[in-house]
Amino acid sequence: MYRSQRLAVRYFTAAIALFGIMTAAGLLTAAYYLQPSLLYNVFDFQMAKILHINTLVIWLLMGFIGAVYWFLPKELEHEVVGIRLAEILFYVFCAAVAVVAVVFILVQYGSSNQFSMWFINQGRKYVEAPRWAALGIVVVVLTFVFNVVATAVRARRMTGILWVLMLDLVPLSVLYLDAFPQITNMSHDLYWWWWLVHMWVEATWEVLIGCLMAWSLMELLGTSRRIVEAWLYIEVMLVLGTGILGLGHHYFWIGTPQYWLSIGGFFSALEPLPLLGMVVHAIYDAGTHRMQTTNRPAFCWVLAEAFGNFIGAGVFGFMMTLPQINLYSHGTQWTVSHGHFAFWGAYGCGIIAIVYLVLQRTRDARFFDSRAWKWSFGLLNFGLVGMVGGLLIAGIAQAVYERAQGGSTLQAFVVATESPWFQSGMYVRLAFGVVFALGYVVLVYDLLTIGKRAPVAATQVVSA
Amino acid sequence: MTPMALFATATALGLFVLSGGAYGVLYGAGSLRSSRLLTRAGYACYGLQLLLLLAVCLAAPLAGLWKVFLIVSGITYGFIPPATWRLLHALHHRSEAEP
Repeated sequence: MYRSQRLAVRYFTAAIALFGIMTAAGLLTAAYYLQPSLLYNVFDFQMAKILHINTLVIWLLMGFIGAVYWFLPKELEHEVVGIRLAEILFYVFCAAVAVVAVVFILVQYGSSNQFSMWFINQGRKYVEAPRWAALGIVVVVLTFVFNVVATAVRARRMTGILWVLMLDLVPLSVLYLDAFPQITNMSHDLYWWWWLVHMWVEATWEVLIGCLMAWSLMELLGTSRRIVEAWLYIEVMLVLGTGILGLGHHYFWIGTPQYWLSIGGFFSALEPLPLLGMVVHAIYDAGTHRMQTTNRPAFCWVLAEAFGNFIGAGVFGFMMTLPQINLYSHGTQWTVSHGHFAFWGAYGCGIIAIVYLVLQRTRDARFFDSRAWKWSFGLLNFGLVGMVGGLLIAGIAQAVYERAQGGSTLQAFVVATESPWFQSGMYVRLAFGVVFALGYVVLVYDLLTIGKRAPVAATQVVSA
Repeated sequence: MTPMALFATATALGLFVLSGGAYGVLYGAGSLRSSRLLTRAGYACYGLQLLLLLAVCLAAPLAGLWKVFLIVSGITYGFIPPATWRLLHALHHRSEAEP
Protein backbone atom coordinates (compact mmCIF):
# COMPACT_ATOMS: atom_id res chain seq x y z
CA MET A 1 0.00 0.00 0.00
CA TYR A 2 1.26 3.48 -0.87
CA ARG A 3 1.80 6.06 1.89
CA SER A 4 -0.78 8.31 0.31
CA GLN A 5 -3.31 5.47 0.60
CA ARG A 6 -2.63 5.25 4.32
CA LEU A 7 -3.18 9.00 4.42
CA ALA A 8 -6.45 8.46 2.51
CA VAL A 9 -7.67 6.10 5.24
CA ARG A 10 -6.92 8.78 7.85
CA TYR A 11 -8.90 11.31 5.80
CA PHE A 12 -11.83 8.89 5.59
CA THR A 13 -11.73 8.33 9.35
CA ALA A 14 -11.86 12.07 9.97
CA ALA A 15 -14.62 12.47 7.37
CA ILE A 16 -16.82 9.81 8.98
CA ALA A 17 -16.26 11.36 12.44
CA LEU A 18 -17.32 14.77 11.08
CA PHE A 19 -20.32 13.13 9.41
CA GLY A 20 -21.37 12.10 12.94
CA ILE A 21 -20.93 15.63 14.32
CA MET A 22 -22.93 16.97 11.39
CA THR A 23 -25.72 14.50 12.15
CA ALA A 24 -25.77 15.37 15.86
CA ALA A 25 -25.79 19.11 15.15
CA GLY A 26 -28.54 18.56 12.58
CA LEU A 27 -30.69 16.74 15.14
CA LEU A 28 -30.23 19.58 17.58
CA THR A 29 -31.15 22.10 14.89
CA ALA A 30 -34.31 20.11 14.12
CA ALA A 31 -35.24 20.09 17.81
CA TYR A 32 -35.01 23.91 18.05
CA TYR A 33 -37.85 24.24 15.54
CA LEU A 34 -40.12 22.39 17.93
CA GLN A 35 -38.70 23.83 21.15
CA PRO A 36 -37.28 27.28 20.32
CA SER A 37 -36.21 27.94 23.92
CA LEU A 38 -34.04 24.82 23.96
CA LEU A 39 -30.53 25.74 25.23
CA TYR A 40 -31.49 29.39 24.91
CA ASN A 41 -28.50 31.66 25.57
CA VAL A 42 -26.34 28.58 26.06
CA PHE A 43 -26.05 27.17 22.56
CA ASP A 44 -28.51 28.92 20.29
CA PHE A 45 -30.04 27.72 17.03
CA GLN A 46 -27.63 29.62 14.80
CA MET A 47 -24.58 27.98 16.37
CA ALA A 48 -25.99 24.47 15.92
CA LYS A 49 -26.81 25.36 12.32
CA ILE A 50 -23.30 26.72 11.72
CA LEU A 51 -21.84 23.51 13.10
CA HIS A 52 -24.22 21.43 10.98
CA ILE A 53 -23.51 23.07 7.62
CA ASN A 54 -19.78 23.62 8.13
CA THR A 55 -19.16 20.03 9.14
CA LEU A 56 -21.19 19.04 6.07
CA VAL A 57 -18.76 20.91 3.82
CA ILE A 58 -15.67 19.65 5.66
CA TRP A 59 -16.64 15.97 5.85
CA LEU A 60 -17.37 15.89 2.15
CA LEU A 61 -14.17 17.80 1.34
CA MET A 62 -12.13 15.39 3.47
CA GLY A 63 -13.87 12.49 1.76
CA PHE A 64 -12.99 13.88 -1.68
CA ILE A 65 -9.37 14.58 -0.73
CA GLY A 66 -9.05 11.13 0.83
CA ALA A 67 -10.50 9.49 -2.27
CA VAL A 68 -8.05 11.27 -4.56
CA TYR A 69 -5.11 10.30 -2.31
CA TRP A 70 -6.36 6.71 -2.56
CA PHE A 71 -6.83 6.50 -6.31
CA LEU A 72 -3.99 8.77 -7.50
CA PRO A 73 -0.99 6.47 -6.85
CA LYS A 74 -2.88 3.54 -8.36
CA GLU A 75 -3.70 5.60 -11.42
CA LEU A 76 -0.11 6.73 -11.93
CA GLU A 77 1.66 3.78 -10.33
CA HIS A 78 3.72 6.28 -8.43
CA GLU A 79 3.76 7.50 -4.84
CA VAL A 80 2.27 10.95 -4.38
CA VAL A 81 4.91 13.67 -4.60
CA GLY A 82 5.10 15.75 -1.42
CA ILE A 83 3.38 13.10 0.65
CA ARG A 84 5.24 14.13 3.82
CA LEU A 85 3.83 17.65 3.55
CA ALA A 86 0.37 16.23 2.87
CA GLU A 87 0.62 14.04 5.98
CA ILE A 88 1.64 16.98 8.17
CA LEU A 89 -1.13 19.13 6.74
CA PHE A 90 -3.70 16.43 7.46
CA TYR A 91 -2.97 16.76 11.18
CA VAL A 92 -2.91 20.55 10.91
CA PHE A 93 -6.27 20.40 9.11
CA CYS A 94 -7.80 18.17 11.81
CA ALA A 95 -6.42 20.33 14.62
CA ALA A 96 -7.74 23.47 12.92
CA VAL A 97 -11.20 21.94 12.51
CA ALA A 98 -11.19 20.93 16.18
CA VAL A 99 -10.11 24.41 17.34
CA VAL A 100 -12.75 26.09 15.16
CA ALA A 101 -15.42 23.71 16.50
CA VAL A 102 -14.40 24.46 20.09
CA VAL A 103 -14.52 28.21 19.38
CA PHE A 104 -17.97 27.83 17.78
CA ILE A 105 -19.23 25.88 20.78
CA LEU A 106 -17.64 27.88 23.60
CA VAL A 107 -17.05 31.41 22.28
CA GLN A 108 -19.75 31.38 19.58
CA TYR A 109 -19.61 35.00 18.40
CA GLY A 110 -17.92 38.30 19.10
CA SER A 111 -18.27 41.98 18.40
CA SER A 112 -18.46 43.23 14.86
CA ASN A 113 -14.75 43.82 14.40
CA GLN A 114 -11.60 42.47 12.77
CA PHE A 115 -10.69 40.31 15.77
CA SER A 116 -13.97 38.39 15.54
CA MET A 117 -13.50 37.88 11.82
CA TRP A 118 -9.97 36.57 12.24
CA PHE A 119 -10.44 34.45 15.34
CA ILE A 120 -14.11 33.68 16.02
CA ASN A 121 -16.46 33.69 13.06
CA GLN A 122 -16.16 35.07 9.56
CA GLY A 123 -19.93 35.48 9.43
CA ARG A 124 -20.54 34.11 5.96
CA LYS A 125 -22.87 31.15 5.70
CA TYR A 126 -21.15 27.81 4.88
CA VAL A 127 -17.72 29.44 5.28
CA GLU A 128 -18.08 30.76 8.82
CA ALA A 129 -14.66 29.46 9.88
CA PRO A 130 -12.58 32.41 11.12
CA ARG A 131 -10.11 33.95 8.69
CA TRP A 132 -7.04 32.12 10.04
CA ALA A 133 -8.77 28.78 9.49
CA ALA A 134 -9.95 29.83 6.03
CA LEU A 135 -6.32 30.60 5.15
CA GLY A 136 -5.41 27.16 6.49
CA ILE A 137 -7.96 25.56 4.17
CA VAL A 138 -6.36 27.42 1.25
CA VAL A 139 -2.95 26.02 2.22
CA VAL A 140 -4.36 22.46 2.51
CA VAL A 141 -6.15 22.70 -0.85
CA LEU A 142 -3.10 24.20 -2.60
CA THR A 143 -0.90 21.44 -1.20
CA PHE A 144 -3.45 18.92 -2.43
CA VAL A 145 -3.37 20.49 -5.91
CA PHE A 146 0.44 20.44 -5.83
CA ASN A 147 0.38 16.74 -4.83
CA VAL A 148 -1.82 15.85 -7.78
CA VAL A 149 -0.03 17.93 -10.42
CA ALA A 150 3.51 17.14 -9.23
CA THR A 151 2.78 13.41 -9.09
CA ALA A 152 1.47 13.43 -12.66
CA VAL A 153 4.54 15.37 -13.81
CA ARG A 154 6.95 13.08 -11.95
CA ALA A 155 5.21 9.92 -13.16
CA ARG A 156 5.28 11.29 -16.74
CA ARG A 157 1.88 9.83 -17.25
CA MET A 158 -1.53 11.30 -17.87
CA THR A 159 -5.00 9.81 -18.19
CA GLY A 160 -8.33 11.27 -19.24
CA ILE A 161 -9.73 11.13 -15.71
CA LEU A 162 -6.66 12.86 -14.36
CA TRP A 163 -6.91 15.63 -16.95
CA VAL A 164 -10.50 16.29 -15.93
CA LEU A 165 -9.55 16.19 -12.25
CA MET A 166 -6.62 18.58 -12.66
CA LEU A 167 -8.65 21.06 -14.68
CA ASP A 168 -11.39 20.86 -12.06
CA LEU A 169 -8.98 21.55 -9.21
CA VAL A 170 -8.28 25.01 -10.63
CA PRO A 171 -11.81 26.43 -10.14
CA LEU A 172 -12.19 24.34 -6.99
CA SER A 173 -9.33 26.19 -5.31
CA VAL A 174 -9.84 29.58 -6.94
CA LEU A 175 -13.53 29.77 -6.07
CA TYR A 176 -12.80 29.27 -2.38
CA LEU A 177 -11.05 32.65 -2.47
CA ASP A 178 -14.58 34.04 -2.69
CA ALA A 179 -14.79 33.38 1.04
CA PHE A 180 -12.41 36.25 1.72
CA PRO A 181 -13.57 39.63 0.39
CA GLN A 182 -15.07 42.04 2.88
CA ILE A 183 -17.77 43.67 0.78
CA THR A 184 -20.03 45.96 2.75
CA ASN A 185 -22.74 46.13 0.08
CA MET A 186 -24.90 43.11 0.87
CA SER A 187 -26.11 42.59 -2.71
CA HIS A 188 -22.56 42.54 -4.03
CA ASP A 189 -21.45 40.32 -1.20
CA LEU A 190 -24.19 37.73 -1.77
CA TYR A 191 -23.70 37.91 -5.53
CA TRP A 192 -20.07 36.71 -5.19
CA TRP A 193 -20.73 34.46 -2.22
CA TRP A 194 -23.08 32.38 -4.40
CA TRP A 195 -20.24 31.88 -6.85
CA LEU A 196 -18.47 29.95 -4.14
CA VAL A 197 -21.45 28.00 -2.80
CA HIS A 198 -23.16 27.24 -6.09
CA MET A 199 -20.09 26.63 -8.24
CA TRP A 200 -18.57 24.31 -5.68
CA VAL A 201 -21.73 22.30 -5.21
CA GLU A 202 -23.26 22.30 -8.69
CA ALA A 203 -20.16 22.48 -10.85
CA THR A 204 -16.71 21.65 -9.45
CA TRP A 205 -17.83 19.08 -6.87
CA GLU A 206 -20.05 17.40 -9.49
CA VAL A 207 -17.02 17.01 -11.75
CA LEU A 208 -14.86 15.82 -8.85
CA ILE A 209 -17.37 13.15 -7.81
CA GLY A 210 -17.67 12.20 -11.50
CA CYS A 211 -13.90 11.48 -11.57
CA LEU A 212 -14.10 9.55 -8.30
CA MET A 213 -17.06 7.51 -9.52
CA ALA A 214 -15.18 6.76 -12.75
CA TRP A 215 -12.27 5.31 -10.74
CA SER A 216 -14.69 3.52 -8.42
CA LEU A 217 -16.53 1.85 -11.31
CA MET A 218 -13.23 0.67 -12.79
CA GLU A 219 -12.26 -0.87 -9.47
CA LEU A 220 -15.68 -2.12 -8.39
CA LEU A 221 -17.04 -3.53 -11.63
CA GLY A 222 -13.94 -3.68 -13.79
CA THR A 223 -15.51 -1.28 -16.28
CA SER A 224 -13.02 -0.39 -18.99
CA ARG A 225 -11.19 2.92 -18.89
CA ARG A 226 -12.39 3.83 -22.37
CA ILE A 227 -16.02 3.58 -21.26
CA VAL A 228 -15.72 5.50 -18.01
CA GLU A 229 -13.63 8.21 -19.64
CA ALA A 230 -16.01 8.63 -22.59
CA TRP A 231 -18.91 8.84 -20.18
CA LEU A 232 -17.04 11.24 -17.91
CA TYR A 233 -16.41 13.67 -20.78
CA ILE A 234 -20.10 13.66 -21.71
CA GLU A 235 -21.16 14.07 -18.10
CA VAL A 236 -18.72 16.89 -17.45
CA MET A 237 -19.87 18.71 -20.58
CA LEU A 238 -23.53 18.41 -19.62
CA VAL A 239 -23.07 19.14 -15.92
CA LEU A 240 -20.94 22.21 -16.53
CA GLY A 241 -23.18 23.31 -19.42
CA THR A 242 -26.23 23.35 -17.19
CA GLY A 243 -24.66 23.93 -13.79
CA ILE A 244 -22.57 27.07 -14.27
CA LEU A 245 -25.31 29.43 -15.38
CA GLY A 246 -27.80 27.63 -13.13
CA LEU A 247 -26.17 29.95 -10.59
CA GLY A 248 -28.94 32.43 -11.32
CA HIS A 249 -31.54 30.28 -9.57
CA HIS A 250 -30.11 31.51 -6.25
CA TYR A 251 -30.32 35.18 -7.15
CA PHE A 252 -33.69 35.87 -5.54
CA TRP A 253 -34.37 38.63 -3.04
CA ILE A 254 -30.77 39.88 -2.95
CA GLY A 255 -30.97 42.76 -5.41
CA THR A 256 -29.43 41.17 -8.51
CA PRO A 257 -30.69 42.16 -12.00
CA GLN A 258 -33.89 40.42 -13.04
CA TYR A 259 -32.39 38.70 -16.11
CA TRP A 260 -30.50 36.39 -13.78
CA LEU A 261 -33.77 34.81 -12.68
CA SER A 262 -34.62 33.65 -16.21
CA ILE A 263 -31.05 32.56 -16.97
CA GLY A 264 -30.86 30.61 -13.71
CA GLY A 265 -34.29 29.05 -14.19
CA PHE A 266 -33.51 28.00 -17.76
CA PHE A 267 -30.15 26.36 -17.12
CA SER A 268 -31.03 24.74 -13.83
CA ALA A 269 -34.21 23.32 -15.40
CA LEU A 270 -31.88 21.52 -17.84
CA GLU A 271 -29.96 19.88 -14.99
CA PRO A 272 -32.23 16.79 -14.68
CA LEU A 273 -31.39 15.77 -18.26
CA PRO A 274 -27.77 14.64 -17.62
CA LEU A 275 -28.93 13.12 -14.34
CA LEU A 276 -31.45 10.98 -16.25
CA GLY A 277 -28.58 9.79 -18.44
CA MET A 278 -26.67 8.81 -15.29
CA VAL A 279 -29.66 6.79 -14.02
CA VAL A 280 -29.79 4.90 -17.33
CA HIS A 281 -26.03 4.35 -17.05
CA ALA A 282 -26.46 2.93 -13.54
CA ILE A 283 -29.11 0.50 -14.82
CA TYR A 284 -26.84 -0.50 -17.69
CA ASP A 285 -23.83 -1.12 -15.44
CA ALA A 286 -25.87 -3.03 -12.86
CA GLY A 287 -27.42 -5.15 -15.61
CA THR A 288 -24.34 -5.94 -17.67
CA HIS A 289 -22.63 -7.18 -14.53
CA ARG A 290 -25.83 -9.04 -13.56
CA MET A 291 -25.63 -7.37 -10.17
CA GLN A 292 -22.53 -9.49 -9.49
CA THR A 293 -19.97 -7.85 -7.31
CA THR A 294 -17.46 -8.69 -4.63
CA ASN A 295 -18.40 -5.60 -2.63
CA ARG A 296 -22.15 -5.36 -2.12
CA PRO A 297 -22.19 -2.29 0.12
CA ALA A 298 -20.06 -0.22 -2.26
CA PHE A 299 -22.15 -1.36 -5.22
CA CYS A 300 -25.45 -0.45 -3.55
CA TRP A 301 -24.14 2.93 -2.40
CA VAL A 302 -23.01 3.68 -5.98
CA LEU A 303 -26.53 2.88 -7.19
CA ALA A 304 -27.97 5.02 -4.37
CA GLU A 305 -25.73 7.85 -5.56
CA ALA A 306 -27.17 7.75 -9.10
CA PHE A 307 -30.79 7.53 -7.98
CA GLY A 308 -30.40 9.91 -5.03
CA ASN A 309 -28.77 12.51 -7.26
CA PHE A 310 -31.58 12.24 -9.80
CA ILE A 311 -34.41 12.48 -7.27
CA GLY A 312 -32.77 14.95 -4.87
CA ALA A 313 -31.24 17.31 -7.39
CA GLY A 314 -33.42 16.53 -10.42
CA VAL A 315 -36.97 15.96 -9.17
CA PHE A 316 -36.87 18.11 -6.01
CA GLY A 317 -34.92 20.81 -7.82
CA PHE A 318 -37.20 20.96 -10.85
CA MET A 319 -40.27 21.32 -8.62
CA MET A 320 -39.18 24.78 -7.63
CA THR A 321 -36.55 26.03 -10.04
CA LEU A 322 -38.74 27.90 -12.52
CA PRO A 323 -38.75 31.58 -11.49
CA GLN A 324 -42.54 31.72 -10.98
CA ILE A 325 -42.26 28.98 -8.31
CA ASN A 326 -38.82 29.90 -6.98
CA LEU A 327 -40.13 33.38 -6.18
CA TYR A 328 -42.29 31.78 -3.47
CA SER A 329 -40.25 28.76 -2.44
CA HIS A 330 -36.86 30.49 -2.15
CA GLY A 331 -35.36 30.36 1.32
CA THR A 332 -38.16 28.24 2.79
CA GLN A 333 -37.85 24.72 4.19
CA TRP A 334 -38.71 23.59 0.66
CA THR A 335 -35.21 24.54 -0.47
CA VAL A 336 -33.81 22.90 2.66
CA SER A 337 -35.59 19.70 1.63
CA HIS A 338 -34.05 19.87 -1.86
CA GLY A 339 -30.62 20.70 -0.43
CA HIS A 340 -30.62 17.74 1.97
CA PHE A 341 -31.67 15.25 -0.69
CA ALA A 342 -29.31 16.60 -3.35
CA PHE A 343 -26.24 16.70 -1.06
CA TRP A 344 -26.94 13.20 0.18
CA GLY A 345 -27.59 11.77 -3.28
CA ALA A 346 -24.82 13.50 -5.13
CA TYR A 347 -22.03 13.36 -2.57
CA GLY A 348 -22.83 11.54 0.69
CA CYS A 349 -23.68 8.22 -0.97
CA GLY A 350 -20.65 8.49 -3.26
CA ILE A 351 -18.19 9.03 -0.41
CA ILE A 352 -19.66 6.12 1.59
CA ALA A 353 -19.35 3.88 -1.49
CA ILE A 354 -15.66 4.79 -1.82
CA VAL A 355 -15.04 4.19 1.88
CA TYR A 356 -16.39 0.63 1.51
CA LEU A 357 -14.28 0.13 -1.59
CA VAL A 358 -11.16 1.25 0.24
CA LEU A 359 -11.90 -0.86 3.32
CA GLN A 360 -12.16 -3.98 1.16
CA ARG A 361 -8.62 -3.34 -0.05
CA THR A 362 -7.14 -2.40 3.32
CA ARG A 363 -8.68 -5.45 5.00
CA ASP A 364 -7.65 -7.64 2.12
CA ALA A 365 -11.10 -9.20 1.90
CA ARG A 366 -11.95 -10.87 -1.37
CA PHE A 367 -15.69 -10.60 -0.70
CA PHE A 368 -17.25 -7.84 1.29
CA ASP A 369 -20.65 -8.28 2.84
CA SER A 370 -22.38 -8.06 6.22
CA ARG A 371 -25.84 -7.71 7.75
CA ALA A 372 -25.02 -4.40 9.38
CA TRP A 373 -24.40 -2.52 6.12
CA LYS A 374 -27.92 -3.39 4.96
CA TRP A 375 -29.34 -1.94 8.15
CA SER A 376 -27.26 1.20 7.89
CA PHE A 377 -28.10 1.55 4.19
CA GLY A 378 -31.81 1.15 4.94
CA LEU A 379 -31.88 3.38 8.02
CA LEU A 380 -29.81 6.17 6.49
CA ASN A 381 -31.80 6.28 3.24
CA PHE A 382 -35.18 5.75 4.88
CA GLY A 383 -34.33 8.41 7.47
CA LEU A 384 -33.17 10.81 4.79
CA VAL A 385 -36.27 10.32 2.63
CA GLY A 386 -38.47 10.83 5.70
CA MET A 387 -36.59 13.98 6.68
CA VAL A 388 -36.86 15.54 3.24
CA GLY A 389 -40.54 14.57 3.13
CA GLY A 390 -41.16 16.40 6.40
CA LEU A 391 -39.18 19.40 5.23
CA LEU A 392 -41.08 19.41 1.94
CA ILE A 393 -44.43 19.55 3.75
CA ALA A 394 -43.18 22.34 6.03
CA GLY A 395 -41.66 24.21 3.08
CA ILE A 396 -44.79 24.06 0.94
CA ALA A 397 -46.78 25.33 3.95
CA GLN A 398 -44.35 28.24 4.22
CA ALA A 399 -44.51 29.03 0.49
CA VAL A 400 -48.30 28.97 0.54
CA TYR A 401 -49.12 30.67 3.86
CA GLU A 402 -46.17 33.00 4.25
CA ARG A 403 -45.39 33.93 0.65
CA ALA A 404 -48.40 33.36 -1.64
CA GLN A 405 -51.13 34.23 0.89
CA GLY A 406 -49.36 36.44 3.40
CA GLY A 407 -47.08 38.45 1.11
CA SER A 408 -43.85 37.66 2.99
CA THR A 409 -44.56 39.90 5.98
CA LEU A 410 -43.23 39.13 9.45
CA GLN A 411 -46.78 38.38 10.57
CA ALA A 412 -47.14 35.93 7.65
CA PHE A 413 -43.88 34.27 8.67
CA VAL A 414 -45.23 33.73 12.19
CA VAL A 415 -48.57 32.45 10.87
CA ALA A 416 -46.81 29.99 8.54
CA THR A 417 -44.44 28.64 11.19
CA GLU A 418 -47.34 28.14 13.59
CA SER A 419 -49.49 26.32 11.03
CA PRO A 420 -50.17 22.63 11.74
CA TRP A 421 -48.66 21.68 8.38
CA PHE A 422 -45.36 23.35 9.22
CA GLN A 423 -45.31 21.95 12.75
CA SER A 424 -46.18 18.41 11.58
CA GLY A 425 -43.45 18.62 8.96
CA MET A 426 -40.95 19.55 11.63
CA TYR A 427 -41.99 16.67 13.88
CA VAL A 428 -41.65 14.30 10.95
CA ARG A 429 -38.21 15.73 10.19
CA LEU A 430 -37.00 15.22 13.77
CA ALA A 431 -38.40 11.68 13.99
CA PHE A 432 -36.75 10.63 10.75
CA GLY A 433 -33.61 12.50 11.78
CA VAL A 434 -33.39 10.08 14.71
CA VAL A 435 -33.75 7.17 12.26
CA PHE A 436 -30.94 8.68 10.16
CA ALA A 437 -28.76 9.05 13.27
CA LEU A 438 -29.36 5.38 14.13
CA GLY A 439 -28.29 4.54 10.59
CA TYR A 440 -25.08 6.48 11.19
CA VAL A 441 -24.34 4.53 14.36
CA VAL A 442 -24.84 1.22 12.52
CA LEU A 443 -22.69 2.52 9.65
CA VAL A 444 -19.81 3.27 12.02
CA TYR A 445 -20.19 -0.17 13.63
CA ASP A 446 -20.13 -1.79 10.20
CA LEU A 447 -17.14 0.21 8.98
CA LEU A 448 -15.23 -0.85 12.08
CA THR A 449 -16.09 -4.52 11.80
CA ILE A 450 -16.85 -5.48 8.18
CA GLY A 451 -14.27 -7.79 6.67
CA LYS A 452 -12.93 -8.66 10.14
CA ARG A 453 -15.66 -11.15 10.93
CA ALA A 454 -16.08 -14.68 9.53
CA PRO A 455 -15.05 -14.61 5.85
CA VAL A 456 -17.50 -15.58 3.13
CA ALA A 457 -16.64 -18.74 1.16
CA ALA A 458 -13.81 -17.88 -1.20
CA THR A 459 -15.54 -19.16 -4.31
CA GLN A 460 -18.79 -17.32 -3.73
CA VAL A 461 -19.53 -14.27 -5.81
CA VAL A 462 -22.06 -12.24 -3.98
CA SER A 463 -25.20 -11.43 -5.89
CA ALA A 464 -26.64 -8.05 -4.89
CA MET B 1 -50.00 32.98 -8.83
CA THR B 2 -52.62 31.73 -6.39
CA PRO B 3 -51.53 29.46 -3.54
CA MET B 4 -53.41 26.54 -5.10
CA ALA B 5 -51.82 27.14 -8.51
CA LEU B 6 -48.39 27.33 -6.88
CA PHE B 7 -48.88 24.00 -5.16
CA ALA B 8 -50.40 22.30 -8.21
CA THR B 9 -47.76 23.58 -10.65
CA ALA B 10 -44.83 22.63 -8.43
CA THR B 11 -46.28 19.16 -7.81
CA ALA B 12 -46.90 18.63 -11.53
CA LEU B 13 -43.34 19.72 -12.38
CA GLY B 14 -41.88 17.36 -9.78
CA LEU B 15 -44.00 14.48 -11.09
CA PHE B 16 -42.99 15.44 -14.64
CA VAL B 17 -39.31 14.75 -13.90
CA LEU B 18 -40.13 11.73 -11.73
CA SER B 19 -42.07 10.11 -14.60
CA GLY B 20 -39.09 10.84 -16.85
CA GLY B 21 -36.89 9.01 -14.34
CA ALA B 22 -39.33 6.08 -14.16
CA TYR B 23 -39.29 5.96 -17.98
CA GLY B 24 -35.49 5.78 -17.94
CA VAL B 25 -35.39 3.04 -15.30
CA LEU B 26 -38.09 0.89 -16.92
CA TYR B 27 -36.74 1.39 -20.43
CA GLY B 28 -33.29 0.34 -19.19
CA ALA B 29 -34.65 -2.66 -17.28
CA GLY B 30 -36.75 -3.65 -20.30
CA SER B 31 -33.79 -3.47 -22.69
CA LEU B 32 -31.61 -5.38 -20.26
CA ARG B 33 -34.05 -8.26 -19.86
CA SER B 34 -35.47 -7.98 -23.36
CA SER B 35 -38.84 -7.60 -21.67
CA ARG B 36 -41.54 -5.99 -23.75
CA LEU B 37 -43.69 -5.53 -20.67
CA LEU B 38 -41.06 -3.43 -18.89
CA THR B 39 -40.29 -1.42 -22.03
CA ARG B 40 -44.00 -0.72 -22.51
CA ALA B 41 -44.30 0.27 -18.86
CA GLY B 42 -41.43 2.67 -19.55
CA TYR B 43 -43.27 4.17 -22.52
CA ALA B 44 -46.40 4.41 -20.35
CA CYS B 45 -44.39 6.51 -17.86
CA TYR B 46 -43.24 8.71 -20.73
CA GLY B 47 -46.89 9.00 -21.78
CA LEU B 48 -47.74 10.09 -18.24
CA GLN B 49 -44.93 12.63 -18.45
CA LEU B 50 -46.43 14.05 -21.65
CA LEU B 51 -49.88 14.19 -20.02
CA LEU B 52 -48.43 16.13 -17.10
CA LEU B 53 -46.75 18.42 -19.61
CA LEU B 54 -50.08 18.98 -21.33
CA ALA B 55 -51.76 19.73 -18.00
CA VAL B 56 -49.04 22.24 -17.08
CA CYS B 57 -49.23 23.90 -20.50
CA LEU B 58 -53.02 24.21 -20.34
CA ALA B 59 -53.58 25.02 -16.70
CA ALA B 60 -50.44 26.41 -15.04
CA PRO B 61 -49.99 30.19 -14.84
CA LEU B 62 -46.47 30.04 -16.32
CA ALA B 63 -45.32 32.48 -18.99
CA GLY B 64 -45.55 31.28 -22.62
CA LEU B 65 -41.80 30.94 -23.12
CA TRP B 66 -41.50 28.65 -20.12
CA LYS B 67 -44.22 26.45 -21.58
CA VAL B 68 -42.29 26.27 -24.87
CA PHE B 69 -39.19 25.36 -22.89
CA LEU B 70 -41.10 22.62 -21.07
CA ILE B 71 -42.42 21.21 -24.35
CA VAL B 72 -38.90 21.03 -25.83
CA SER B 73 -37.65 19.54 -22.57
CA GLY B 74 -40.47 16.94 -22.58
CA ILE B 75 -39.60 15.89 -26.12
CA THR B 76 -35.90 15.62 -25.19
CA TYR B 77 -36.77 13.29 -22.29
CA GLY B 78 -38.19 10.89 -24.87
CA PHE B 79 -34.83 10.52 -26.59
CA ILE B 80 -32.48 10.34 -23.60
CA PRO B 81 -33.00 6.71 -22.43
CA PRO B 82 -32.76 5.09 -25.92
CA ALA B 83 -29.89 7.37 -27.00
CA THR B 84 -27.95 6.77 -23.76
CA TRP B 85 -28.57 3.05 -24.02
CA ARG B 86 -27.32 2.90 -27.59
CA LEU B 87 -24.25 4.96 -26.70
CA LEU B 88 -23.38 2.73 -23.74
CA HIS B 89 -23.98 -0.37 -25.83
CA ALA B 90 -21.68 0.92 -28.58
CA LEU B 91 -18.99 1.87 -26.06
CA HIS B 92 -19.09 -1.56 -24.42
CA HIS B 93 -19.01 -3.39 -27.75
CA ARG B 94 -16.10 -1.32 -29.00
CA SER B 95 -14.27 -1.95 -25.75
CA GLU B 96 -14.90 -5.71 -25.92
CA ALA B 97 -13.81 -5.86 -29.56
CA GLU B 98 -10.42 -4.41 -28.67
CA PRO B 99 -7.62 -6.92 -28.03
